[in-house]
Amino acid sequence: MSLVELKDVVKRYGNNTVLNGVSLGVEKGEIIAIIGRSGSGKSTMLRCINGLEPIQGGSVAFDGRIVNDPATDLRELRQHVGIVFQSFNLFPHLSVEKNITLAPKVVKGMQQSEARLLAEAVLRKVGLGEKIDAFPDQLSGGQQQRVAIARSLAMQPVLMLFDEITSALDPELVGEVLKVLEEMARDGMTMILVTHEIGFARKVANRVVFMHQGKIWEQGPAAATLGNPNTLELETFLSAVLH
Amino acid sequence: MIRELALIDVLYLIAAMRWTLALTAIAFLGGAFFGLFIALLRIAPFAPARWLGAAYVNAVQGTPLLAWLFVFFFGLSIVGVTVSPWIAAAAAYSIYAGAFLGEIWRGCLQAIPQTQWEAGASLGLSFSAQLRYIIVPQAFRLAIPPTVGFLVQLIKNTSLAAVVGFIELTREGQLTTATTFRPFTVYLIVAALYFALCFPLTQVSRRLERRLHVAR
Amino acid sequence: MTYRFNFRDVFAAWEFLLDGLVLTLQLSLVSIVCGLLIGIAGAAARVHGGPWLKTLVATYVEVIRNTPLIVQLFLIFFGLPSAGIKFDANTAAMVALTINLGAYSTEILRAGLEAIPRSQIEAGQALGLSGLQIFRYVVIFPAFRLIYPALASQFVLLMLATSVVSQISAQDLFHAASIVQSRTFRDFEIYTVIAAAYLALALALRFLLGLLYQLVFVRR
Repeated sequence: MSLVELKDVVKRYGNNTVLNGVSLGVEKGEIIAIIGRSGSGKSTMLRCINGLEPIQGGSVAFDGRIVNDPATDLRELRQHVGIVFQSFNLFPHLSVEKNITLAPKVVKGMQQSEARLLAEAVLRKVGLGEKIDAFPDQLSGGQQQRVAIARSLAMQPVLMLFDEITSALDPELVGEVLKVLEEMARDGMTMILVTHEIGFARKVANRVVFMHQGKIWEQGPAAATLGNPNTLELETFLSAVLH
Repeated sequence: MIRELALIDVLYLIAAMRWTLALTAIAFLGGAFFGLFIALLRIAPFAPARWLGAAYVNAVQGTPLLAWLFVFFFGLSIVGVTVSPWIAAAAAYSIYAGAFLGEIWRGCLQAIPQTQWEAGASLGLSFSAQLRYIIVPQAFRLAIPPTVGFLVQLIKNTSLAAVVGFIELTREGQLTTATTFRPFTVYLIVAALYFALCFPLTQVSRRLERRLHVAR
Repeated sequence: MTYRFNFRDVFAAWEFLLDGLVLTLQLSLVSIVCGLLIGIAGAAARVHGGPWLKTLVATYVEVIRNTPLIVQLFLIFFGLPSAGIKFDANTAAMVALTINLGAYSTEILRAGLEAIPRSQIEAGQALGLSGLQIFRYVVIFPAFRLIYPALASQFVLLMLATSVVSQISAQDLFHAASIVQSRTFRDFEIYTVIAAAYLALALALRFLLGLLYQLVFVRR
């Protein structure tokens, strides 16, 4: 059974159909890179997976549970799916430690001492062990994003979603974030990334999914598909992005 | 002599609204005059002027309106200066409104980006010319919603004039209560009449604010 | 024709004025605390409540904000007894001031809540936090910090507005002033002194509120 299963998902914003019958399966341990133009529906599809976007048609399943079923306990589900956003979304009034330990303490009932150890561990993983008592506004963009990743990791999810996490970063800060992602991939985390970093996708992803006009236009093994696009749209997109 | 509350009383109350409106208009005009002066003082490139404006605003915003009313209505006459109630009211409210309008308008002037001033200066315009042709026209648009909002405050504040015996809606309410002994009904009607005046203006101010933000 | 300013009579009554001052401070404090609590509840209701609750709170806010405080005060003190609810002057003052501040606080706090970006709430949701947990840990502190200046101004305005309760003979500072005036006929002196007293109070309150902000909201 796939870890994530989207079947004929339809999503509309008012009159605008953003997802037009999307079907996708993701196995445990896979690394999927989703690419495409703005407006092609990539972020929306990602956000459907942990229920941040309600859908109007089709079904989204995570680990066998239907996400878009109103009876599903989304809160419980979200403890197993981590998401990192383009704009980091760290809580500005909380220190790095408190940002990371908030959910484990409040949702899982973890004790402060255990939570702090957990925070130290995940921060070490992203290379920011010494920043544990800093505040978000004291960190660079790249550091904030890595803290955001650590925050999600602290809940020990089985799936990590990344919504264009390097798009808002200054170019020289992108590398440090991608390094963290590479390590997570090596550790066997199932990851779905919406990204513009084609080089990264080619290097790290197993599969690449190209979205166009609300549909999955083309998908396949990362290196092969990116090197030899089958469709004109993907070819045009790649030449525009890799000029 | 106690009388039953009749329709005539309600009509008298409604008629008293004209004094409320008149007082509001005078307060606004006087306040606008002072307010403009204060706003300009506070953005003047001359520190003592700014200080003076700030002192005035802080002094007025830190004292109750009632105190000003009492000083002008009773204080002046005791000192030997006779003033008609309208002059006293106009003076007290103008000083009061001037401080608040001055603050609002100062905020609007300061909201215009420094770059606009610089553009004017680079073209060789003097401070007053920059103000007149570039800054004030833009600030004016910004100022309309909060100014209308303050107008609502003014209408409500005219009710305090009743305390010094000035005849307007609230005073009329007090007099009607005294003759009919129906305070609940009378003051409910008075409240409803104020609401009828204020609520539409509040809505207008909100709509203007929304339109302003959409346009930016 | 010349008037001899005589402040001595005014200052001689300082103990009497002090009693009035104490009540003014009491009224202000109680109204601020209770009004703030109403404001938090009201703002939460307006942002997260069901349609009935939202309409109810909105009506409360609009009615209070579009009618004068003195009329609200008269309604509560003079009007309610005919409906069977009798308050003494001080209690009526407290009730009226609290209800009044509650409406303004609701509006101010609501603006604060709505200013928190949706992305903050989504981040909380994505971590599995419940709505109440998000409100408590993610939203309310930054919202408060944002609207603190507006709220502080409203508190100062309320303290000044307590002078109105003198009109139902609650024994506040302004009422004390009227009594002194009726004894000494030094209108000009007494009311200017009172104005200065209120100014001092306002400045002190503003200072204290500023200090509170530094202690609570500024990181060291």
